[in-house]
Formats: sequence, structure tokens, C-alpha cells
Amino acid sequence: MKIAIVVQRYGTEINGGAELHARYVAERLSRHASVEVLTTCAKDYLTWKNEWPSGEETVNGIRVRRFPVSHPRNTDDFGRRSALVFDREHSLADELAWLDSEGPKSPALIRHIEQARDEFDFFLFFSARYYHAWHGARAVPGKAILVPTAERDPAVGLHMFGLVFRGVRALMYNSVEERDLIHGVSGNQAVPGVVVGVGSAIPERIQPWRFRKKFNVKRPFAIYIGRIDENKGCPALFDHFINYAANYPRGLDLILLGKAVIPIPSHPRIRAVGFLSEEDKFDALAAADLLVMPSQFESLSMVALEAWALGKPVLVNGACDVLRGQTVRANGGLCYESFEEFAEAMYCLEAIGPIGAILGRQGREFFKRHYAWPVIEKKYLDMFDRLKRDSSVRPAEPWPGWWERRKRTLPPARQIVDNVPAGPVLR
Amino acid sequence: MSDFQVKSDAVDVDAIMRQIRARIREKRGTDYTEAEVQELAKVKLEQFLDPKGVRSDLVAQFRRTRTISPAPPNYTFEDDTIYETHRGLLRTIRRLLNPILKLFLNPNSIAAALHVQARVNEEFHQRFRQREDMDPLYYELVHNLALEVTRLGIEVHNMKMRVESVSSRIDFDERRSRALETVVQYKQARPSQQQRPQPQRQQDPRAQDQRPQETRLQPQAMNTPTAPAPVALAPVATMPPTSPAGDSIGDAAAVPMPASSAAPAGDRGDRPDGEGERRRRRRRRRRRPGQNMGDQQAGSGDDSSADGTGSDSGTGSDSGNDAQ
Repeated sequence: MKIAIVVQRYGTEINGGAELHARYVAERLSRHASVEVLTTCAKDYLTWKNEWPSGEETVNGIRVRRFPVSHPRNTDDFGRRSALVFDREHSLADELAWLDSEGPKSPALIRHIEQARDEFDFFLFFSARYYHAWHGARAVPGKAILVPTAERDPAVGLHMFGLVFRGVRALMYNSVEERDLIHGVSGNQAVPGVVVGVGSAIPERIQPWRFRKKFNVKRPFAIYIGRIDENKGCPALFDHFINYAANYPRGLDLILLGKAVIPIPSHPRIRAVGFLSEEDKFDALAAADLLVMPSQFESLSMVALEAWALGKPVLVNGACDVLRGQTVRANGGLCYESFEEFAEAMYCLEAIGPIGAILGRQGREFFKRHYAWPVIEKKYLDMFDRLKRDSSVRPAEPWPGWWERRKRTLPPARQIVDNVPAGPVLR
Repeated sequence: MSDFQVKSDAVDVDAIMRQIRARIREKRGTDYTEAEVQELAKVKLEQFLDPKGVRSDLVAQFRRTRTISPAPPNYTFEDDTIYETHRGLLRTIRRLLNPILKLFLNPNSIAAALHVQARVNEEFHQRFRQREDMDPLYYELVHNLALEVTRLGIEVHNMKMRVESVSSRIDFDERRSRALETVVQYKQARPSQQQRPQPQRQQDPRAQDQRPQETRLQPQAMNTPTAPAPVALAPVATMPPTSPAGDSIGDAAAVPMPASSAAPAGDRGDRPDGEGERRRRRRRRRRRPGQNMGDQQAGSGDDSSADGTGSDSGTGSDSGNDAQ
């Protein structure tokens, strides 16, 4: 069996998001099939500038083909088009223009997919909202398997994504909430789908003391791992934590791992150690009492899974359906929606607290049951077998005509998403 | 914070979250959600809690936009105003016909009323102008009050947080002091400390520095039970009171001496007990739990003095053996 994994960026330097997800899946599936990665030369997800050379290379034993991006993203243009399609009545042509503007636009990549359609049994497209996935999935609908990594943001409500969600052979969802959202906006219940998620590469030798010694950390602490960004809910986290620190002088410290995009408040109990290697990251996670996830928009928190893999409880933003649902289903942490809940939960989850260890243990069991690599690999392989057995391909939906595509009659995408029932799936 | 009730190894996150929310409601005393509380706070205090909401240049802006209202049109009204005209002939005719006019109405009262009204208008305008002059002052006052209320609001908030912080520290310190109290009581109950003799530090202050001899027990203290000393943790220099050497004892105490030669020879003769009794007593003391370890620590490693063998037996060989 030969599988192509199509993703917007690919490389060991990218340590998060759908790109890391794709790399993990590629490396794992390569044990069962011949895997090739098709991607762009872009490294920065904001500009999509061509930074890697085009052509072939091998990354961790996986063959990678890179194709150039035709133009970098024009932020102003993208912002204007986003406002149009998200908040006003618009046309399908507007949506396609928005997709081009979002990038990474790489016609060469799509041409290659069309040409190499017979070489591969399946094409796994990661991140539905980007150019490569939409055009690629429409180029090879009979072999396209989509890993949408969709969040509850207005983009999911765009009409054109419904065509893809209904047109691919199968979808591999990250969470139950994501599946319900996509069902809600596109009505693609007939398309085979399975909630898979992703595992994590947990190092065998993890030494918490090594992190404490290296960074001279003596007090117990909560840890945040990820980009320190407004979109990730960090400002609210800082507010809550500063308030908590004033109220509980003997409580936990906060250590931040990751690249800082916004300024970090100067506080004696908040410490940012920057971007760390995988080894240091896991050492830090093992040394922490708990992991904090303040983000409101997540399709799957890989770092939460990693925390559970190490038996650490998590404290998540209850406003994020996916995180809340995942945490409640795992019984592996607590949620907060206000400062009071944040402070109480921090107290509960301290390592010397009443339930932190128990929740961590339950989280670990949940991880083993649902997100251990053998489980993930089996779900992918089962889906491939199922699709191979069922070779019937649904007829593609008719593509609207020239005038039809330009009629501004489509409702705002935000309105579509808002109409889909929200809330976590707790059981 | 009070503890949670965890009744089994498995924890239900939903149940814990319900407990947390119930406790928050208890603390808050109402069923308001956080959003509702925020809304109420916004409605009541709106500008005042937000220092950014108060513009620091309000007064200047007010002065810039302020316009002095023009004086309203007024008139002067005297008794003969109603007959005024620029034509002299007409004025004369009006005056001549005035008695006829007074047959129909009283123009004097009208003239008086209009005269008063003109003065009232003038006075009102003057007061209005004074009020306008005062307006910037009132505006400035209100502005300063708003700033002050904002500052106080922030300060109250900070003080609340500090009070909570201090109260949590006090709780911690209380728990810690209770824990320490139990430890101190345990140490007081130790028999070895109860049997320590009263110090003779006054006799020779230099003896405080002489560790090898400072914990040596008096023979009399060993033989005659005395009331337990309250706490005998301080280094004690104990010298045999019945020393044959008299003043030389002080000298002996001042010089660190080996345990074998520390006891004066005269001590042996003063002991009422026999050798067997002393050994039995020594064995009993050794069996007392914790005594040896505590004395070892207090005696800075001088085991002989800890056991009391240095002076108790009076035999240098015994103490030397214990020290080994």
C-alpha cells in the first residue's frame, strides 16, 4: 500500500499543530505502508514564504517532496476577504478568492497530485481550511481521506468546505466535538468517519530533576506549553494567575514553555523559559504539578495528551468545547470559566493536593486506551481496509456555473457556525 | 481552602466541578454567575473602576469647548418710557393726552412692573454669569473626585487581596505553630532532660564553652531525685560541688580534659551506691527510648557525658569505652 500525506508545512522544526500531527502519522504509518509526504516550501504559517528548497528530501526516513508557494500571504487582503465571507452575504467566488488569499497557494503541488493520482492508494490531506487540502481533495476525490483538524471558527462554515467534507472518501476526526461540528455545518453524516486523534512520541527516559536543575526551579509549578499568544488565551491566563498568586502565596508557580508572541508580565512567580527541545519539554512536564491549557480554540490538544501520558492532570479552559469534553471524558483534569474556578482547581490539582494524582492516573489510562500509537495506527489501517473493500465512490456534487458562483447569496460563515449546537460531548 | 471529599480511587470530574461551583457559590453568598457579577459591577461603577475610562484632560477639554453665553437682550423702563419717541411734537401730544389715557387704564403700574422686570432680568443674568464662571471649578472637582474614587477602588481591591493573602499566611503559621508545639511537648516529657541538674554556670562562666564537661551530671543529682528542670537544652557546665580541689575545679573545668581524667578522684569516695547499683542504673538509662540519641546530639558527640558515665561511675575507663 502506498500513501501520500499532503500537508501545508513539514519538517522537524515545526513542533505543533496539524504539521506535527501529520509528521507523527507519517512516521507511524511508514511501518505499515510506503509513505510519501507532499508539501510546500513554506516554513512560516503567517507569510507562507518559500524557505525550504523545492524538490525531494528525506526527513526521519520519510520521503518528502516540496513544491513552491506561488505568492506569500497579503495580510491586508486576507483580512478584507475574511471580513467579507465571515460576516456578510457573499458568493462562492468570494470564498475561493479568500482561500487563495489565505494560502499557501501552490498550483504545482495540486498539479503533482493530479499527475500522481495512480501512484498512491490514498491521499491523506491534513488541515481542511488550507489551499492544498481543498484543491487536492477535489483533484482526487476517490482517494482523498481528510484529517480536517477543524476548530470552531467561522471558516468551517464556508460553503465551499461543505463540498469537500461531503466529497472525500473518509474523514479522520480529532475529537467527537469536531465530528459533530462538521456534521452540523456540512451534513456529511454519510461519509465514513472515525475519531482518531493522534498519539505522541514520549521519550523513554524522562528526568524531572534534570529540568529543575538546568533551570534552577525549586518550587512546585504549573506549566503552560505552546505559543504564548493572545489566540491561545494567554492574557486571561496571566490575569488569573496573578490574582491567584496574590491570594495564595504558597501556591504553585507558573512556567511557560514556548515562543512568546505577546509580552509576558513581570511577576516573581511567572517564568518563561522559551522554546525547549523535546527532551527538556518532557522533563519539564514531568516536573510540573499540572498542565494549564487556556486556549479557547482547539481541535485537539496534543500537549494535554502528552501530560496525560506522563500521568499529569490538566486544567483547561471550560469555554473550549473540545478541551472540556476531552477532559471530562478522560476524567483527567478540571475546567475553569472564572477566576474562582481557576484558583480552586489549581489548589485541587497540586501534586500534594487531594485529587491531582488520581486525575493524572485516570488521564494516563485514558491516553493508553484511546491515544496510544497502536490504537491510532489500527484505526488508520482499519479505515484503509474498509475503503479498499468498499470501492464504490459517490458521484461528485455538480460544480456551480459561472454566474452561480458569482451570486452573492451565501449566508455569512459565522452565522452558519453559530447555528450549529455548541457544547462538549461529555460521555 | 477546605478539602474535597474523595471517596474512592476514581474521581469524577463532573462531581468535582459541581463541588467547586457549590463552594464558590457559598463564598460569594449568591447564585450570581461570574458574568452576572461583572455585569452588575459595570452598571454600578462603570467609569469609576476603570482608570482608563477617566480622561485626564477633561478639564482642559471643557475649557476649550466652553463658550461664554452672550448677555440676553434687556431694556430699561422708567416712568416716562411709554411716552418716549424721537419726535418732539408727538411726545408733547402724548403727554397732553395722558390724563385721557388714565381714564381707561393705569399706565404707572405697568411702567413700575416693567421696570422691576428689567431689573430682575439684569440680576438674573449676573447670577447666571457667576454660575458659568463657577462651572469649571465644579467640573474640576467632579473630575478629581472621579479620579480619587478610581484610585480608592483599585486600592480597596489590592487591600482585599492583601488581606486574603495575610489571612492565608496566618492560617499556615497557626498550623505550623501547632505542629511545633506538639514537638516541644514531646521533648519536655523526656526523662533525661527532667533529670538534668540545675546549672552552675554562675560559678564559672568559662565552663559554657567546655563541651566535654558541660553535660556531665552531678553525682548528687543522680542519687537524689530532684524536680525536673523546665527545659535543660542550654549547655550546662556542671561541676561536682564537693570537690576536694576547691578552686582548682574551676581551672579544671576551663581546660578541656579527656573523659578518662575528667572526674576528680574524690568523687568515688562520695558515692553512696556500690558499683553494681551504678551499672544497673546505667543500664536502665540506656534502655530509655530516645535518650542516647538526644544526648549524643546535645553533647556534641561526647557519648560518655551523654550516658553520664564520665562522672557517674567516676571511672575513666568506663567513659572511654562508651565514647568509643
